[in-house]
Amino acid sequence: MAKEIFMPKLSSTMESGTILQWIKNEGDPVDMGEPVFEVMSDKINIEVEAYEEGFLLKKYYNVDDVVPVNTVVGYIGEKDEEVPDTPPGNTENSESKAEPEPDQNETVADDSSSSVTQIEQGQIRATPAARRVAKEEGADLSDMTGSGPKQRIQQQDVHEFVQNAQKTPKATPLARKWAEEQNADLNTVEGSGPGGKIYTKDLSAAQNDTVSAEPDRIPVKGIRKVVADRMTESAAAVPHVTLYSDVDMTELVRMRSRLQDKIIEQTGAKLSYTEIMMKAAASALERHPYINASLSPDQQEILLHRDVNLGLAVATEQGLVVPVLHHAQHKGLVELVKESKQLAADARNQQLKPQQMQGGTFTISNLGMYAVDGFTPIINQPEAAILGVGQMKETPVGENGSVVLRPMTTFSLSFDHRVVDGAPAAAFLTELKQLLEDPYELLM
Amino acid sequence: MREITYVEALRECMSQEMRENENVFLMGEDIGVYGGAFGVTRGMIEEFGPERVRNTPISEAGITGSAIGSALTGMQPIVELQFSDFITIAMDQLANQAAKLRYMYGGKGNVPMVLRTPAGSGTGAAAQHSQSLEAWVAHIPGLKVVQPSTAYDAKGLLKAAIDDPNPVIFYEHKLLYKTSSDDVPEDPYSIPLGQADIKREGTDVTIVATSVMVHRALEAAEKLAEEGINVEVIDPRSIVPLDEETIVQSVIKTNRVVVVHEAVKRGGYGGEIASMITESEAFDFLDAPVKRLGASPVPVPYNPELEKAMTPQTEDLIQACRETLQRA
Repeated sequence: MAKEIFMPKLSSTMESGTILQWIKNEGDPVDMGEPVFEVMSDKINIEVEAYEEGFLLKKYYNVDDVVPVNTVVGYIGEKDEEVPDTPPGNTENSESKAEPEPDQNETVADDSSSSVTQIEQGQIRATPAARRVAKEEGADLSDMTGSGPKQRIQQQDVHEFVQNAQKTPKATPLARKWAEEQNADLNTVEGSGPGGKIYTKDLSAAQNDTVSAEPDRIPVKGIRKVVADRMTESAAAVPHVTLYSDVDMTELVRMRSRLQDKIIEQTGAKLSYTEIMMKAAASALERHPYINASLSPDQQEILLHRDVNLGLAVATEQGLVVPVLHHAQHKGLVELVKESKQLAADARNQQLKPQQMQGGTFTISNLGMYAVDGFTPIINQPEAAILGVGQMKETPVGENGSVVLRPMTTFSLSFDHRVVDGAPAAAFLTELKQLLEDPYELLM
Repeated sequence: MREITYVEALRECMSQEMRENENVFLMGEDIGVYGGAFGVTRGMIEEFGPERVRNTPISEAGITGSAIGSALTGMQPIVELQFSDFITIAMDQLANQAAKLRYMYGGKGNVPMVLRTPAGSGTGAAAQHSQSLEAWVAHIPGLKVVQPSTAYDAKGLLKAAIDDPNPVIFYEHKLLYKTSSDDVPEDPYSIPLGQADIKREGTDVTIVATSVMVHRALEAAEKLAEEGINVEVIDPRSIVPLDEETIVQSVIKTNRVVVVHEAVKRGGYGGEIASMITESEAFDFLDAPVKRLGASPVPVPYNPELEKAMTPQTEDLIQACRETLQRA
C-alpha cells in the first residue's frame, strides 16, 4: 500500500514550505532515510527523508511550489502501484491533519529501537558538551557519527569532526555521494549552506562554472596567420607614436551631400567619407613626402615614394585585408569611388589579386561606422605611417567665444619614429586637418 | 603532624570546646563510664563530670526534645544517638521543633544544638542499625547536615557545628571511627559548613562522594590512574549547605561525573546533587549522563557478603567511571 509523503512541519510557526528541488524523480527507488526532496521554510532548508522504502510513485508539486504543511506532496510504494492523480485531501481539515501524526510516531518508535544517532527528523543524540562545542565551532551535528553509547555524539566526536572538516569540506551526504560519482573535487566547490556547507545544487553550479564547454578551435592560418605575424612584427619592431587631432567635418559633410547625386550618376555608387579622406590624404602626402615613405629592407635607407599608393583596411569574414589603391594622387573622386568600391568588393569576395595588395605607401583604417572615437592603429609595414579614423559625432566646440555643435571626427596618426620625427608628422596631420575642414582646396 | 583517629579527633574537639565554653554539654545513652556505643566520649565523664556528660534513658525523642529545650535557653547541647537509625524516633522533635523554632520565633530564639550519630553499614549490625538516612533530615529546611570523612574534617567540622546557632545533624560513620589522619592540629580549628574539599585532583571524571564513599572513591581513583584515567574526588563534607560551586567547576573541567553515597539510591541525596549539576552551567559541559551510585533498595542484610553487595564498593566505582568514559 502506497504511503503518503507529507510536507513536514519543521517549526512551530511553519505554515507552508517551498519545494526547492526533488532529489528523487517519479519511478526512482527510494530507501528509508534517503532524501526525497528539499524544502525551504521561512528559516531553513532541509532535505526531507523517506520514512518508507519503495519507489517514488508521484510528485504532486513542482519546484518552487509553496505547499501547506501536512499536505501530501507525493507517494512512495510498490512499483506501478496506483495512486491518485491529484493530491488527496490537501485541504486543511482536521482529519488529514491528524493522519500523518500517528504514522510519524510509529516510525520514530521503530527508529529508536534500532538505536541510531538520528532519533527522528531534526533530533540528534548528542551530549550537552558535544552540542556546546559544535555550536562554538559552527559544526553541524547531523553530519557527525557518534562514538558514544547508542551512537551518541560526544565532545571528542565533534573535535575530531572539526579537525577532519578542515581537511575535507562540509557537504550534505547527497552532495558527497554525487561528487564521488562525478569524480568532482569538493575542495573546489563553494558551498552556499551554513558554514560553507556544500549542497547538491552548489555542485552542479560549480560544474557549470568551472567545467566550461569545449571551445571552438580555429587554426591560425591564411589571413589570420598573416595578420598575426605582421602585427606582431610591426608592434615589436616599430617605435610607434600616435598623434591625435579632432577635425571639424562640417564642410566635408556639406561637400559630400552636394556631390553625392553627381557621383551616383557617374559611378552608380555612393560617395563615402572614406573616399574624400583618401583624396585629402593623397593630397597631403604629396606635400609631405617623408610621411609617404618607408624604410628599406636593410634599414639603411629611407625611401620617399613618388606615388601615393593608399592601403585601405577592409574587414572581411576571414579577417583584415588591406587592398592598395595605386596612384591615388592623380585620381579624382569619381575614380576613387569606383576603385575603392571595387577593391572592397573584391576583398570581401576574396578575389583580390596579389598586385592589388602590394606597393602600399600609406594606409587608412576607418572605424567611423562603429561607436569608436579614436584608436592607435598599428603601422602596416614597411610603410612609415597609418591614419586611424573614428566616428563623426556632434560635439560642442568653442567658436568665436561661444560654444557651437559641430560634427567632429578624431583622426589618429601612428608613425614610425625611425623614419620620421614628431614635428613633420604633426605638420602632416595639421595639413590634413586643414584640407578636411576646407575641402574645396582639394579641387585646386 | 601527629596522627590521631576519627574518634580521637571528635573527642578532642568536644573536650576542647567544653573546657572553653561552659554552655557546651553532652547528652546520650551510655556516654558516661561506658563511653558511648563506639567509645567516642570515653574518659570525658572523668574530666567533665556527670553534670556535663549526661547519661539519658533510652528515649531518642526525649533526649532530642530536652536538648532542643536547653538550646533555646542558651545552652549548646551535643546529643549522641547510638545509631543513626534511631533518628526516626527523634524525627518529630527534629523536623517539627528544632528545624522550625528559630523561624517561628522570628529569630528571637535559636536552637544551637548538635546531634551526633553514627550511620552506615559494614559492621554486620543488620537492618535496624546500619542505615544511612541523611536524606531524611537534609529534606527539612532548618537543619544542617554534616558528613565528615576524615579525622581532620571531623574535628574541624564538629567545631563549626557546635558554633553554629542552628541545629546540626552530624553524621559520623562506624567504619571511619578507627581511621586516622596524620594532619590533625592539636589546637582547635573550624572548617566552615558548606565548603567542599577536593580530596584528589583529576581531569577525566569527577566523583562526588560522601562519608565512607570518599575513601572508596580514592581507592578507585588510585586504580584507575594505573589505566591512565585521572579521577577528581570531591567530598562535599556537608550536604546542607552544599558547596555547589566546587562541584560545578569540577564537572566543567572533567565533563563527566559520578555521584556516590552509601544511602539507598532511590530518593537519596545523590539525586539532588545530580539535578543540581544538570541545572547548573555545567550542563553544557556534560559529555555523558550524570551517573549515580547508591545502595540497592533493600533492608541492609545481616549476611556480610550481602551487606557488601547492596552498597557501592570500590569495584563498583571503578566500573561506573569506566562506563561514563565509555571504557567499560
